[in-house]
Amino acid sequence: MEEIRIGVYICWCGTNISRMVDVEDVARELSEMPGVVISKDYKYMCSDPGQALIIKDIKEHKLNRVVVSACSPRIHELTFRKALENAGLNPYMFQMANIREQVSWVHDDREKATKKAKALVAAAINRVKWHESLDKRTVSINPSTLVIGGGIAGITAALELADTGSPVYLIEKTTELGGNMAKIDLTFPYLNSARQIIQEKIERTEHHPNIHIFKNTVVDEIFGYIGNFNSIIGQNGSEIDLKFGNIVVATGLKPFDPSGLENYGYGKFPDVITSLEFEKKLLSGNILTNEGKDPENVVIIHCVGSRNRSEHEYCSRTCCMTALKYANQLRSAIPDANIYQAYADMRAFGKGCEELYTSTSRKGIMFLMFDQQNDLPVIKKAEPGDSCNMLIEMNEKLSGEKIEIPADMVILMVGLEAHEDAKKISHTVGISLDGNSFFMEKHPKLDPVATTTSGVYVVGNCQAPKDIPDTITQAKAATARIMGTIKQGEVEVEVITAVVNEDICCGCQTCIQVCPYTAITYDVVKGVSVVNEAICKGCGTCGSACPTGAIRSRHFTDNQILSQIKGLLSKSLELKEV
Amino acid sequence: MIQRVNTDLKKDLLKLGVKDWNECFHCGNCTAICPLSENELLFPRKVIRQAQMGLETSLQANVSPWMCYYCGECSDTCPRDANPGELMMSLRRYLTSIYDWTGLSRLFYTNKYMEFAAIIGLAIIVILLFAIWGPPLDPSLTSEGGVKINSFAPIKWIELGDWSMAVVVGALLISNILHMFYKVIIKPGVKIPLTTYITELWKLPTHFATQAKFRKCDAKGKFYWGAHWLMMTGYTVMFTMIVVFLPEFQVEKVNDWWHWQRLLGYYSTFGLLFGLIFVIIGRIKQNNQIFKFSHLSDWLFIIMLFLTTISGIMLHLFRVGGMPYATYYTYIAHIAILIPMICIEVPFSKWSHLAYRPFAIYFAALKKEAKELEYKTNLSPEAA
Repeated sequence: MEEIRIGVYICWCGTNISRMVDVEDVARELSEMPGVVISKDYKYMCSDPGQALIIKDIKEHKLNRVVVSACSPRIHELTFRKALENAGLNPYMFQMANIREQVSWVHDDREKATKKAKALVAAAINRVKWHESLDKRTVSINPSTLVIGGGIAGITAALELADTGSPVYLIEKTTELGGNMAKIDLTFPYLNSARQIIQEKIERTEHHPNIHIFKNTVVDEIFGYIGNFNSIIGQNGSEIDLKFGNIVVATGLKPFDPSGLENYGYGKFPDVITSLEFEKKLLSGNILTNEGKDPENVVIIHCVGSRNRSEHEYCSRTCCMTALKYANQLRSAIPDANIYQAYADMRAFGKGCEELYTSTSRKGIMFLMFDQQNDLPVIKKAEPGDSCNMLIEMNEKLSGEKIEIPADMVILMVGLEAHEDAKKISHTVGISLDGNSFFMEKHPKLDPVATTTSGVYVVGNCQAPKDIPDTITQAKAATARIMGTIKQGEVEVEVITAVVNEDICCGCQTCIQVCPYTAITYDVVKGVSVVNEAICKGCGTCGSACPTGAIRSRHFTDNQILSQIKGLLSKSLELKEV
Repeated sequence: MIQRVNTDLKKDLLKLGVKDWNECFHCGNCTAICPLSENELLFPRKVIRQAQMGLETSLQANVSPWMCYYCGECSDTCPRDANPGELMMSLRRYLTSIYDWTGLSRLFYTNKYMEFAAIIGLAIIVILLFAIWGPPLDPSLTSEGGVKINSFAPIKWIELGDWSMAVVVGALLISNILHMFYKVIIKPGVKIPLTTYITELWKLPTHFATQAKFRKCDAKGKFYWGAHWLMMTGYTVMFTMIVVFLPEFQVEKVNDWWHWQRLLGYYSTFGLLFGLIFVIIGRIKQNNQIFKFSHLSDWLFIIMLFLTTISGIMLHLFRVGGMPYATYYTYIAHIAILIPMICIEVPFSKWSHLAYRPFAIYFAALKKEAKELEYKTNLSPEAA
């Protein structure tokens, strides 16, 4: 075995670390540990000169292991691995000790903090001795894509991909493409026809040579991993085996059902209708009450099922502007009508939306504010002598008065919520749900399109409620990502994975049950578990669950972990004496 | 109390001259900038809300429009150009029409033909009275060289006319104030102890005489309060002289110029002319918020007062100059303008504000005291 030659670098991080940790003392003391060839401190290790220092030392001192003691590996582990690679070393011959977030930022005793820093660096030095070279692995990419959901999100993704020449399988649960967008009359904020936009896209999708549409179909099971998925779907009694490299989940959301809200009397009063029912009236061209009359007093109630602790806490994001759209349409259709917007907060954040609010508010529309948490409006039947059918009782916040509004039509702006089968879909494609049963993106800010499962993307409302422009943006972002992998032809996969020692594996299948990525299968012939390394994320759950020790997690081997602990304890015993 | 939204109220207000209906989105900048808005009675935002929403009962019980003297700071500050000051002015018109139980106020405000017909009708009646029952015009002068005005218009008849007009107009005005009292205090159920009515009573004459609140609007070098006060005192002096001291005022003898009768006359002429010219120029130029919007009733009031003043000056000059016929005809014209002005404007139109403003301040003070009393009662151990 080659001689172990470790380089140790202690970062000052300006004054971030050096203010609380005696970095020079740490460097000096640890230079005495066995295997350490050089030990240095430097102002900013992550800077270009800092990295150059490491590269120079690797070459000059023939280092084969490197420890950097600086910030969190979440921030700069990749930076330093890259430096090792540039110096000709395998990037995994590297270990980082976090003495900023875990030491200098959280302690106020310089002496103790320095001791703790020494313990952490000693642990890293002990661990890096056991590191092994790991090699990059790639898998090939099947250029086909599976799109689940035929609404505006799915159609947009399908068309984008198909236009580049890649085959697309578009799965739609219902008998028609178009989703929710096909059910609405005009779009906000510019009041263009939704029908026209979606109809053109549907027609193009249906006649596109690269798009294979499966209507009335659901996907029950998907096998494989990025680049090499497959699924068997039932179609007209026969089974079709589809192979595809990426998956776009675009299953959308459904409108909230207000039947459970007694105060709004939905189902009890025929003229209390939901927003989608009002869209139907708009599409049919006449806005009449149940009795067939033009409504004189229309009340539009916002946030039905949204932003309330007892229903859904989130904002459905589309209803405020839709309600303004209705006010405009009502104003044009019935110029003399009294139109009321009963709202909690007016949210007009998108492009052109504040302008829509401003222009609508100048059309004689009355905005009434209520308390969405504690004091919802109540719809009551009017007394026989009244000119209208219903009275809406509410505490109006801007006047501070308890009022009742006569109404002969009430539109409930129902929010959006997850489909009942969201959980099932999440299992099928192997992604997670958040608390509201929306599909979870990989990172809420930095990667709101991908998921934690490579090759699976979430677009449109199924990820969170959003309007049409946001949906289309997300759909196109996902296609760009997919096109990237298709163009490369192959994709790098995680190298820190689990491996099964088939000689020791007893075939108990405990690992299969605990794996969160369904990366392990059971080889019936050999009677052992098999890890699919393209799916495995190296989380280590199987390794810790394995009763025989047959599963070994690369880069997290027993020797690595145990010697790391030994290193930590060797210094922390001293820490206790202080 | 639940208030039913009156969907027709906005149509009503539009008829009474409200300019813009939709702009206000209740940011409250107007209330923040208003030099007169106080914690106890915040305005104008809240009353705008009541008007917009059709909360008739609250609006009619709200005296804040009378607290506003239209300095225009709110309209200048408004981010949506909703003209809150203008709305306050229009609401004063609305409240005047509500307080007036006869319905004539509403008729005159909403129907200009009826208003003109009433003014011209009254003027014709005055002219006819002089033409039919008036004594023959005597061109001869008294031994001292004065016009024989008292034989043309005998003091006792003119006094009788003055007093009967004062009684009728006063009765109408007082009944309207009682109606206002009902709308503001009784209907909303404000409980006020009798002592409070008495202890707060001093506010009525004080605010009538000084219009002290108006002074707060005079920031930035404006002179609204001064011009208005001169006009008001000028008018009050003249009105008192012709109603209470007519025998001393309507004299045939030409007094020396330093005689109190002439000095008071000159003061009120100056006050009226100064104030009127200030307002007329302002309303024509429209370069200040206070003068930007003029309803027909605003113009009619100013024009009639101006014509009364001018005919009064001419009457004086002709009399002093010893010109009998000119004096007699001007006298008829003067009365023919004066009578409709007082009979229409005081109980039914713009001039009623001379009573409503001090009473609004009085009622607001009563309400404030009632609120504090209620607060104290709720705090006391017996209440707990």
